[in-house]
Amino acid sequence: MAARPRPTSDEAREALRAAMARLADGDQSALEEIYRATRMKLFGICLRILGDQKEAEDALQDVYINLWQRADRYDPARASPIAWLAAFARNRAIDRLRTGKVRSGAVPVEEAAPLPDHSPLADALLIDAEQAAQIHTCLRGLDDRTQGHIRAAFFEGQTYAQLAEAADVPLGTMKSWIRRGLMRLRACLEASEAV
Amino acid sequence: MTTPDNTPRPDVDRDDAMIAAEWALGLLEGEELLAARGKYATQADFAERKEWWDRWFAPLTDAMPGAEPGAHVWDGIAARMAAQQVVADAPGSQTLPPSNVVALEARVRRWQWIAGLSSAAAAAAIALLAFAPNNAPVEAPGAAPTQFAAAAPMVATVPIGDAGLRLDVTYIPDSEQMLVAAIGLTADGVHDHELWLVPADGGALQSLGVVAPGKVRSMAVSQAITAKLGDGSSLVLTREPIGGKPEGADAGPVVAKGAFTRV
Repeated sequence: MAARPRPTSDEAREALRAAMARLADGDQSALEEIYRATRMKLFGICLRILGDQKEAEDALQDVYINLWQRADRYDPARASPIAWLAAFARNRAIDRLRTGKVRSGAVPVEEAAPLPDHSPLADALLIDAEQAAQIHTCLRGLDDRTQGHIRAAFFEGQTYAQLAEAADVPLGTMKSWIRRGLMRLRACLEASEAV
Repeated sequence: MTTPDNTPRPDVDRDDAMIAAEWALGLLEGEELLAARGKYATQADFAERKEWWDRWFAPLTDAMPGAEPGAHVWDGIAARMAAQQVVADAPGSQTLPPSNVVALEARVRRWQWIAGLSSAAAAAAIALLAFAPNNAPVEAPGAAPTQFAAAAPMVATVPIGDAGLRLDVTYIPDSEQMLVAAIGLTADGVHDHELWLVPADGGALQSLGVVAPGKVRSMAVSQAITAKLGDGSSLVLTREPIGGKPEGADAGPVVAKGAFTRV
Protein backbone atom coordinates (compact mmCIF):
# COMPACT_ATOMS: atom_id res chain seq x y z
CA MET A 1 0.00 0.00 0.00
CA ALA A 2 1.29 3.40 -0.89
CA ALA A 3 2.60 5.45 1.95
CA ARG A 4 0.59 8.56 2.42
CA PRO A 5 0.62 11.35 4.90
CA ARG A 6 -1.31 10.26 7.93
CA PRO A 7 -4.85 11.46 7.47
CA THR A 8 -6.87 12.62 10.38
CA SER A 9 -9.81 10.60 11.50
CA ASP A 10 -12.20 13.07 9.93
CA GLU A 11 -10.34 13.05 6.62
CA ALA A 12 -10.26 9.26 6.56
CA ARG A 13 -13.94 9.07 7.36
CA GLU A 14 -14.80 11.64 4.72
CA ALA A 15 -12.64 9.90 2.09
CA LEU A 16 -14.36 6.63 2.86
CA ARG A 17 -17.80 8.20 2.72
CA ALA A 18 -16.97 9.71 -0.69
CA ALA A 19 -15.63 6.39 -1.96
CA MET A 20 -18.80 4.61 -0.83
CA ALA A 21 -20.89 7.18 -2.67
CA ARG A 22 -18.80 6.75 -5.82
CA LEU A 23 -19.15 2.99 -5.59
CA ALA A 24 -22.92 3.31 -5.28
CA ASP A 25 -22.80 5.43 -8.44
CA GLY A 26 -21.07 2.61 -10.27
CA ASP A 27 -17.45 3.77 -10.04
CA GLN A 28 -15.56 0.53 -9.59
CA SER A 29 -12.23 2.14 -8.83
CA ALA A 30 -13.82 3.21 -5.55
CA LEU A 31 -13.82 -0.38 -4.35
CA GLU A 32 -10.04 -0.56 -4.36
CA GLU A 33 -9.85 2.60 -2.33
CA ILE A 34 -12.35 1.20 0.15
CA TYR A 35 -10.43 -2.06 0.27
CA ARG A 36 -7.13 -0.35 0.98
CA ALA A 37 -8.64 1.71 3.73
CA THR A 38 -10.69 -0.95 5.46
CA ARG A 39 -9.28 -4.39 4.70
CA MET A 40 -7.26 -4.70 7.89
CA LYS A 41 -10.13 -3.78 10.16
CA LEU A 42 -12.61 -5.99 8.33
CA PHE A 43 -10.16 -8.86 8.09
CA GLY A 44 -9.49 -8.56 11.81
CA ILE A 45 -13.23 -8.96 12.40
CA CYS A 46 -13.54 -11.99 10.12
CA LEU A 47 -10.48 -13.58 11.68
CA ARG A 48 -11.75 -13.02 15.19
CA ILE A 49 -15.13 -14.57 14.43
CA LEU A 50 -13.95 -17.43 12.23
CA GLY A 51 -10.64 -18.22 13.90
CA ASP A 52 -9.15 -19.48 10.65
CA GLN A 53 -7.02 -17.57 8.17
CA LYS A 54 -8.38 -19.21 5.05
CA GLU A 55 -12.01 -18.97 6.09
CA ALA A 56 -11.53 -15.38 7.11
CA GLU A 57 -9.97 -14.56 3.75
CA ASP A 58 -12.85 -16.19 1.93
CA ALA A 59 -15.29 -14.26 4.08
CA LEU A 60 -13.42 -11.02 3.42
CA GLN A 61 -13.51 -11.53 -0.33
CA ASP A 62 -17.19 -12.26 -0.05
CA VAL A 63 -17.69 -9.04 1.91
CA TYR A 64 -16.14 -6.80 -0.75
CA ILE A 65 -17.74 -8.53 -3.69
CA ASN A 66 -21.09 -8.21 -1.98
CA LEU A 67 -20.37 -4.61 -1.21
CA TRP A 68 -19.55 -3.93 -4.82
CA GLN A 69 -22.65 -5.68 -6.09
CA ARG A 70 -24.95 -3.97 -3.66
CA ALA A 71 -23.26 -0.71 -2.76
CA ASP A 72 -26.62 1.04 -2.81
CA ARG A 73 -27.58 -0.70 0.42
CA TYR A 74 -25.45 1.65 2.43
CA ASP A 75 -27.35 4.70 3.61
CA PRO A 76 -24.97 7.49 4.65
CA ALA A 77 -27.74 9.21 6.56
CA ARG A 78 -28.01 6.30 8.98
CA ALA A 79 -24.54 5.08 9.81
CA SER A 80 -20.91 6.01 9.38
CA PRO A 81 -19.40 3.98 6.57
CA ILE A 82 -16.90 2.20 8.78
CA ALA A 83 -19.56 1.27 11.34
CA TRP A 84 -21.74 -0.08 8.58
CA LEU A 85 -18.87 -1.98 6.97
CA ALA A 86 -17.81 -3.43 10.30
CA ALA A 87 -21.33 -4.70 10.99
CA PHE A 88 -21.57 -5.99 7.44
CA ALA A 89 -18.31 -7.91 7.75
CA ARG A 90 -19.21 -9.37 11.12
CA ASN A 91 -22.62 -10.44 9.85
CA ARG A 92 -21.08 -12.19 6.86
CA ALA A 93 -18.54 -13.92 9.07
CA ILE A 94 -21.27 -15.06 11.48
CA ASP A 95 -23.33 -16.31 8.52
CA ARG A 96 -20.35 -18.36 7.43
CA LEU A 97 -19.89 -19.70 10.94
CA ARG A 98 -23.54 -20.75 11.07
CA THR A 99 -23.46 -22.61 7.78
CA GLY A 100 -21.59 -25.27 9.69
CA LYS A 101 -18.59 -25.51 7.41
CA VAL A 102 -16.35 -23.85 9.89
CA ARG A 103 -15.24 -25.32 13.13
CA SER A 104 -15.52 -22.45 15.49
CA GLY A 105 -12.23 -21.48 17.03
CA ALA A 106 -10.33 -24.16 15.15
CA VAL A 107 -7.22 -22.02 15.22
CA PRO A 108 -6.33 -19.89 18.20
CA VAL A 109 -6.81 -16.33 17.10
CA GLU A 110 -3.54 -15.21 18.62
CA GLU A 111 -1.65 -17.60 16.39
CA ALA A 112 -3.60 -16.93 13.26
CA ALA A 113 -3.59 -13.17 13.40
CA PRO A 114 -0.45 -11.31 12.54
CA LEU A 115 -0.30 -7.94 14.18
CA PRO A 116 -1.18 -5.21 11.75
CA ASP A 117 1.49 -3.00 10.34
CA HIS A 118 -0.08 0.20 11.34
CA SER A 119 -1.86 1.44 8.30
CA PRO A 120 -2.67 5.08 8.88
CA LEU A 121 -6.12 4.81 7.43
CA ALA A 122 -6.97 1.77 9.50
CA ASP A 123 -5.83 3.60 12.61
CA ALA A 124 -7.88 6.59 11.71
CA LEU A 125 -10.95 4.55 11.02
CA LEU A 126 -12.15 3.92 14.48
CA ILE A 127 -15.85 4.09 14.86
CA ASP A 128 -17.47 7.22 16.13
CA ALA A 129 -16.11 7.81 19.60
CA GLU A 130 -19.32 9.08 21.13
CA GLN A 131 -21.30 6.10 19.98
CA ALA A 132 -18.54 3.78 21.13
CA ALA A 133 -18.51 5.32 24.57
CA GLN A 134 -22.28 4.91 24.89
CA ILE A 135 -22.42 1.21 24.09
CA HIS A 136 -19.60 0.57 26.54
CA THR A 137 -21.36 2.59 29.22
CA CYS A 138 -24.59 0.69 28.70
CA LEU A 139 -22.82 -2.67 28.68
CA ARG A 140 -21.08 -1.83 31.92
CA GLY A 141 -24.48 -1.12 33.41
CA LEU A 142 -25.28 -4.82 33.17
CA ASP A 143 -24.22 -7.30 35.82
CA ASP A 144 -20.84 -8.85 35.13
CA ARG A 145 -22.20 -12.25 34.27
CA THR A 146 -24.66 -11.01 31.66
CA GLN A 147 -22.12 -8.61 30.25
CA GLY A 148 -19.63 -11.44 29.90
CA HIS A 149 -22.08 -13.61 28.00
CA ILE A 150 -23.10 -10.81 25.65
CA ARG A 151 -19.47 -10.03 24.94
CA ALA A 152 -18.72 -13.70 24.30
CA ALA A 153 -21.58 -13.81 21.82
CA PHE A 154 -20.34 -10.71 20.06
CA PHE A 155 -16.61 -11.39 20.04
CA GLU A 156 -16.50 -15.17 19.75
CA GLY A 157 -19.64 -15.69 17.68
CA GLN A 158 -21.05 -18.08 20.28
CA THR A 159 -24.61 -19.34 20.16
CA TYR A 160 -27.00 -19.68 23.11
CA ALA A 161 -26.24 -23.39 23.23
CA GLN A 162 -22.48 -22.83 23.34
CA LEU A 163 -22.79 -20.17 26.00
CA ALA A 164 -25.06 -22.38 28.10
CA GLU A 165 -22.64 -25.26 27.82
CA ALA A 166 -19.66 -23.12 28.72
CA ALA A 167 -21.47 -21.71 31.74
CA ASP A 168 -22.91 -25.13 32.62
CA VAL A 169 -26.46 -23.87 32.92
CA PRO A 170 -29.63 -24.99 31.14
CA LEU A 171 -30.22 -23.44 27.76
CA GLY A 172 -33.40 -21.75 28.95
CA THR A 173 -31.52 -20.09 31.77
CA MET A 174 -28.91 -18.68 29.42
CA LYS A 175 -31.61 -17.39 27.09
CA SER A 176 -33.38 -15.64 29.96
CA TRP A 177 -30.16 -14.04 31.19
CA ILE A 178 -29.22 -12.73 27.80
CA ARG A 179 -32.71 -11.57 26.85
CA ARG A 180 -33.02 -9.63 30.07
CA GLY A 181 -29.62 -8.15 29.40
CA LEU A 182 -30.56 -7.17 25.86
CA MET A 183 -33.73 -5.50 27.10
CA ARG A 184 -31.79 -3.42 29.59
CA LEU A 185 -29.20 -2.64 26.98
CA ARG A 186 -31.86 -1.44 24.59
CA ALA A 187 -33.49 0.75 27.23
CA CYS A 188 -30.12 2.30 28.09
CA LEU A 189 -29.23 2.95 24.44
CA GLU A 190 -32.64 4.40 23.64
CA ALA A 191 -32.42 6.66 26.63
CA SER A 192 -29.14 8.01 25.28
CA GLU A 193 -30.73 8.63 21.89
CA ALA A 194 -33.57 10.62 23.43
CA VAL A 195 -31.15 13.14 24.95
CA MET B 1 -27.57 -28.43 16.81
CA THR B 2 -30.04 -30.26 19.02
CA THR B 3 -30.57 -29.10 22.51
CA PRO B 4 -32.65 -30.40 25.35
CA ASP B 5 -34.56 -27.17 25.62
CA ASN B 6 -36.00 -26.24 22.27
CA THR B 7 -39.45 -25.36 23.44
CA PRO B 8 -40.15 -21.72 22.88
CA ARG B 9 -40.73 -20.25 26.28
CA PRO B 10 -43.90 -18.24 26.50
CA ASP B 11 -41.61 -15.39 27.23
CA VAL B 12 -43.33 -12.04 26.88
CA ASP B 13 -39.95 -10.49 26.24
CA ARG B 14 -39.33 -12.37 23.04
CA ASP B 15 -41.07 -10.23 20.50
CA ASP B 16 -39.64 -9.44 17.10
CA ALA B 17 -37.53 -6.67 18.53
CA MET B 18 -35.86 -9.17 20.80
CA ILE B 19 -35.28 -11.57 17.92
CA ALA B 20 -33.66 -8.72 15.99
CA ALA B 21 -31.35 -8.10 18.94
CA GLU B 22 -30.46 -11.76 19.26
CA TRP B 23 -29.74 -11.93 15.56
CA ALA B 24 -27.58 -8.82 15.61
CA LEU B 25 -25.59 -10.33 18.44
CA GLY B 26 -25.16 -13.48 16.35
CA LEU B 27 -27.00 -15.86 18.66
CA LEU B 28 -29.46 -17.31 16.21
CA GLU B 29 -28.90 -20.49 14.27
CA GLY B 30 -30.84 -23.01 12.24
CA GLU B 31 -34.52 -22.39 11.68
CA GLU B 32 -34.59 -19.29 13.83
CA LEU B 33 -31.86 -17.74 11.74
CA LEU B 34 -33.74 -18.52 8.55
CA ALA B 35 -36.94 -17.08 9.98
CA ALA B 36 -35.12 -13.90 11.01
CA ARG B 37 -33.69 -13.47 7.52
CA GLY B 38 -37.14 -13.89 6.08
CA LYS B 39 -38.53 -11.24 8.39
CA TYR B 40 -35.67 -8.92 7.53
CA ALA B 41 -36.56 -9.15 3.86
CA THR B 42 -40.27 -8.60 4.35
CA GLN B 43 -40.82 -6.50 7.46
CA ALA B 44 -39.49 -2.97 7.50
CA ASP B 45 -39.73 -2.47 11.26
CA PHE B 46 -37.89 -5.70 11.91
CA ALA B 47 -35.15 -4.73 9.44
CA GLU B 48 -34.89 -1.33 11.06
CA ARG B 49 -34.52 -2.80 14.52
CA LYS B 50 -31.85 -5.20 13.33
CA GLU B 51 -29.90 -2.35 11.77
CA TRP B 52 -30.35 -0.29 14.89
CA TRP B 53 -28.60 -3.00 16.89
CA ASP B 54 -25.94 -3.41 14.22
CA ARG B 55 -25.12 0.28 14.45
CA TRP B 56 -24.89 0.18 18.21
CA PHE B 57 -22.80 -2.98 18.33
CA ALA B 58 -20.45 -1.85 15.55
CA PRO B 59 -18.10 0.16 17.81
CA LEU B 60 -17.34 -2.99 19.77
CA THR B 61 -15.40 -4.20 16.74
CA ASP B 62 -12.78 -1.56 17.50
CA ALA B 63 -11.56 -3.93 20.19
CA MET B 64 -10.80 -6.60 17.58
CA PRO B 65 -7.19 -6.28 16.40
CA GLY B 66 -6.78 -5.61 12.71
CA ALA B 67 -4.86 -8.03 10.53
CA GLU B 68 -3.43 -8.02 7.03
CA PRO B 69 -5.16 -10.45 4.67
CA GLY B 70 -3.19 -12.29 1.98
CA ALA B 71 -2.58 -10.41 -1.26
CA HIS B 72 -4.62 -12.94 -3.20
CA VAL B 73 -7.80 -11.67 -1.56
CA TRP B 74 -7.72 -8.47 -3.57
CA ASP B 75 -6.59 -10.44 -6.58
CA GLY B 76 -9.75 -12.51 -6.40
CA ILE B 77 -11.95 -9.47 -5.91
CA ALA B 78 -10.39 -7.69 -8.89
CA ALA B 79 -10.80 -10.78 -11.04
CA ARG B 80 -14.46 -11.09 -10.13
CA MET B 81 -15.03 -7.41 -10.83
CA ALA B 82 -13.28 -7.54 -14.16
CA ALA B 83 -15.19 -10.62 -15.20
CA GLN B 84 -18.56 -9.26 -14.21
CA GLN B 85 -17.79 -5.91 -15.72
CA VAL B 86 -17.22 -7.56 -19.06
CA VAL B 87 -20.65 -9.11 -18.76
CA ALA B 88 -22.37 -6.03 -17.47
CA ASP B 89 -20.64 -3.52 -19.69
CA ALA B 90 -23.20 -1.88 -21.86
CA PRO B 91 -23.13 1.15 -24.11
CA GLY B 92 -24.59 4.22 -22.54
CA SER B 93 -22.77 3.99 -19.22
CA GLN B 94 -20.20 6.64 -20.04
CA THR B 95 -18.91 7.00 -16.52
CA LEU B 96 -17.58 3.47 -16.58
CA PRO B 97 -14.25 2.75 -18.15
CA PRO B 98 -14.39 0.26 -21.02
CA SER B 99 -14.16 -3.32 -19.92
CA ASN B 100 -10.74 -3.83 -21.45
CA VAL B 101 -9.34 -1.06 -19.28
CA VAL B 102 -10.84 -2.60 -16.18
CA ALA B 103 -9.46 -5.97 -17.16
CA LEU B 104 -6.07 -4.45 -17.87
CA GLU B 105 -5.94 -2.70 -14.52
CA ALA B 106 -6.98 -5.85 -12.74
CA ARG B 107 -4.29 -7.73 -14.64
CA VAL B 108 -1.57 -5.32 -13.70
CA ARG B 109 -2.56 -5.68 -10.08
CA ARG B 110 -2.64 -9.43 -10.47
CA TRP B 111 0.99 -9.49 -11.50
CA GLN B 112 1.94 -7.08 -8.79
CA TRP B 113 0.34 -9.21 -6.15
CA ILE B 114 1.77 -12.39 -7.59
CA ALA B 115 5.25 -10.94 -7.72
CA GLY B 116 4.87 -9.92 -4.10
CA LEU B 117 3.86 -13.32 -2.88
CA SER B 118 6.45 -15.04 -0.76
CA SER B 119 5.43 -18.47 -1.90
CA ALA B 120 6.30 -19.34 -5.47
CA ALA B 121 3.92 -22.24 -5.16
CA ALA B 122 1.03 -19.90 -4.54
CA ALA B 123 1.92 -17.98 -7.67
CA ALA B 124 1.96 -21.17 -9.65
CA ALA B 125 -1.39 -22.21 -8.27
CA ILE B 126 -2.96 -18.92 -9.25
CA ALA B 127 -1.38 -19.13 -12.67
CA LEU B 128 -2.58 -22.67 -13.12
CA LEU B 129 -6.10 -21.61 -12.25
CA ALA B 130 -5.88 -18.71 -14.60
CA PHE B 131 -4.49 -20.51 -17.59
CA ALA B 132 -5.61 -24.08 -17.42
CA PRO B 133 -8.28 -24.49 -20.08
CA ASN B 134 -11.84 -24.84 -18.82
CA ASN B 135 -10.74 -24.16 -15.33
CA ALA B 136 -11.15 -20.44 -14.97
CA PRO B 137 -11.70 -19.51 -11.34
CA VAL B 138 -14.45 -17.09 -12.20
CA GLU B 139 -18.08 -17.96 -11.96
CA ALA B 140 -19.53 -15.34 -14.26
CA PRO B 141 -20.62 -17.18 -17.35
CA GLY B 142 -18.70 -16.36 -20.48
CA ALA B 143 -16.56 -13.79 -18.79
CA ALA B 144 -13.44 -15.67 -17.85
CA PRO B 145 -11.88 -16.10 -21.29
CA THR B 146 -12.16 -12.40 -21.98
CA GLN B 147 -10.57 -11.57 -18.71
CA PHE B 148 -7.66 -13.94 -18.93
CA ALA B 149 -7.02 -13.41 -22.59
CA ALA B 150 -5.85 -10.01 -21.50
CA ALA B 151 -3.13 -11.41 -19.24
CA ALA B 152 0.42 -10.81 -20.44
CA PRO B 153 2.60 -13.79 -19.79
CA MET B 154 5.07 -14.97 -22.40
CA VAL B 155 3.91 -18.00 -24.25
CA ALA B 156 5.65 -20.48 -26.48
CA THR B 157 3.90 -23.09 -28.51
CA VAL B 158 6.06 -26.02 -29.45
CA PRO B 159 4.38 -28.17 -32.09
CA ILE B 160 5.50 -31.78 -31.99
CA GLY B 161 5.56 -33.52 -35.36
CA ASP B 162 2.51 -33.06 -37.48
CA ALA B 163 0.08 -35.03 -35.39
CA GLY B 164 -1.33 -31.93 -33.70
CA LEU B 165 0.54 -32.62 -30.48
CA ARG B 166 2.12 -29.63 -28.90
CA LEU B 167 3.71 -28.24 -25.83
CA ASP B 168 2.40 -24.99 -24.43
CA VAL B 169 4.90 -23.18 -22.30
CA THR B 170 3.85 -20.15 -20.31
CA TYR B 171 6.24 -17.97 -18.41
CA ILE B 172 4.70 -15.80 -15.73
CA PRO B 173 6.64 -12.57 -15.47
CA ASP B 174 8.54 -12.11 -12.23
CA SER B 175 7.33 -15.36 -10.79
CA GLU B 176 10.23 -17.67 -11.67
CA GLN B 177 7.59 -20.16 -12.58
CA MET B 178 6.98 -21.73 -15.91
CA LEU B 179 3.94 -23.72 -16.82
CA VAL B 180 4.48 -26.56 -19.22
CA ALA B 181 1.42 -28.18 -20.67
CA ALA B 182 2.31 -31.37 -22.45
CA ILE B 183 -1.22 -32.29 -23.31
CA GLY B 184 -1.49 -35.06 -25.85
CA LEU B 185 2.05 -36.24 -25.32
CA THR B 186 2.22 -39.79 -24.03
CA ALA B 187 5.06 -41.58 -22.35
CA ASP B 188 6.56 -44.41 -24.38
CA GLY B 189 8.29 -45.94 -21.38
CA VAL B 190 11.70 -45.74 -23.05
CA HIS B 191 12.24 -42.04 -23.52
CA ASP B 192 11.69 -38.80 -21.74
CA HIS B 193 11.54 -35.42 -23.40
CA GLU B 194 13.65 -32.62 -22.08
CA LEU B 195 12.90 -28.98 -22.67
CA TRP B 196 15.68 -26.47 -23.33
CA LEU B 197 15.77 -22.73 -23.48
CA VAL B 198 17.85 -21.29 -26.32
CA PRO B 199 18.73 -17.84 -25.02
CA ALA B 200 18.14 -14.93 -27.38
CA ASP B 201 21.77 -13.82 -26.80
CA GLY B 202 23.13 -16.99 -28.36
CA GLY B 203 24.42 -18.38 -25.06
CA ALA B 204 24.45 -22.00 -24.01
CA LEU B 205 21.26 -24.01 -23.87
CA GLN B 206 19.62 -24.10 -20.46
CA SER B 207 17.73 -27.17 -19.40
CA LEU B 208 14.22 -26.56 -18.20
CA GLY B 209 13.85 -30.16 -17.19
CA VAL B 210 11.97 -33.20 -18.32
CA VAL B 211 8.39 -32.65 -19.35
CA ALA B 212 5.59 -34.67 -17.83
CA PRO B 213 3.58 -36.24 -20.65
CA GLY B 214 -0.12 -35.52 -20.56
CA LYS B 215 0.17 -33.07 -17.69
CA VAL B 216 0.11 -29.38 -17.01
CA ARG B 217 2.91 -28.79 -14.61
CA SER B 218 4.57 -25.75 -13.16
CA MET B 219 8.32 -25.78 -12.86
CA ALA B 220 10.57 -23.42 -11.01
CA VAL B 221 13.09 -21.64 -13.19
CA SER B 222 16.10 -19.89 -11.76
CA GLN B 223 16.78 -16.22 -12.22
CA ALA B 224 19.77 -17.13 -14.36
CA ILE B 225 17.28 -18.54 -16.81
CA THR B 226 14.57 -15.92 -16.59
CA ALA B 227 17.20 -13.24 -17.14
CA LYS B 228 17.84 -14.72 -20.57
CA LEU B 229 14.19 -15.03 -21.36
CA GLY B 230 12.90 -12.52 -23.82
CA ASP B 231 10.79 -12.05 -26.86
CA GLY B 232 12.16 -14.42 -29.47
CA SER B 233 13.87 -16.78 -27.02
CA SER B 234 13.31 -20.20 -28.40
CA LEU B 235 12.71 -23.58 -26.93
CA VAL B 236 13.74 -26.98 -28.16
CA LEU B 237 12.51 -30.35 -27.06
CA THR B 238 14.93 -33.25 -27.21
CA ARG B 239 14.39 -36.96 -26.88
CA GLU B 240 16.46 -38.40 -24.06
CA PRO B 241 16.74 -41.58 -22.03
CA ILE B 242 14.34 -41.86 -19.11
CA GLY B 243 15.28 -39.24 -16.54
CA GLY B 244 16.68 -36.77 -19.05
CA LYS B 245 20.06 -36.14 -20.57
CA PRO B 246 22.76 -38.04 -18.66
CA GLU B 247 25.63 -36.02 -17.26
CA GLY B 248 28.42 -35.72 -19.78
CA ALA B 249 26.43 -37.09 -22.68
CA ASP B 250 25.34 -35.06 -25.67
CA ALA B 251 21.75 -34.02 -25.82
CA GLY B 252 19.47 -36.27 -27.82
CA PRO B 253 17.82 -35.42 -31.11
CA VAL B 254 15.67 -32.31 -31.29
CA VAL B 255 12.08 -33.35 -31.83
CA ALA B 256 10.38 -29.97 -31.67
CA LYS B 257 11.03 -26.24 -31.56
CA GLY B 258 9.14 -23.10 -30.61
CA ALA B 259 9.70 -19.49 -29.63
CA PHE B 260 8.38 -17.22 -26.91
CA THR B 261 6.12 -14.35 -27.75
CA ARG B 262 4.57 -11.85 -25.42
CA VAL B 263 0.83 -12.23 -25.39
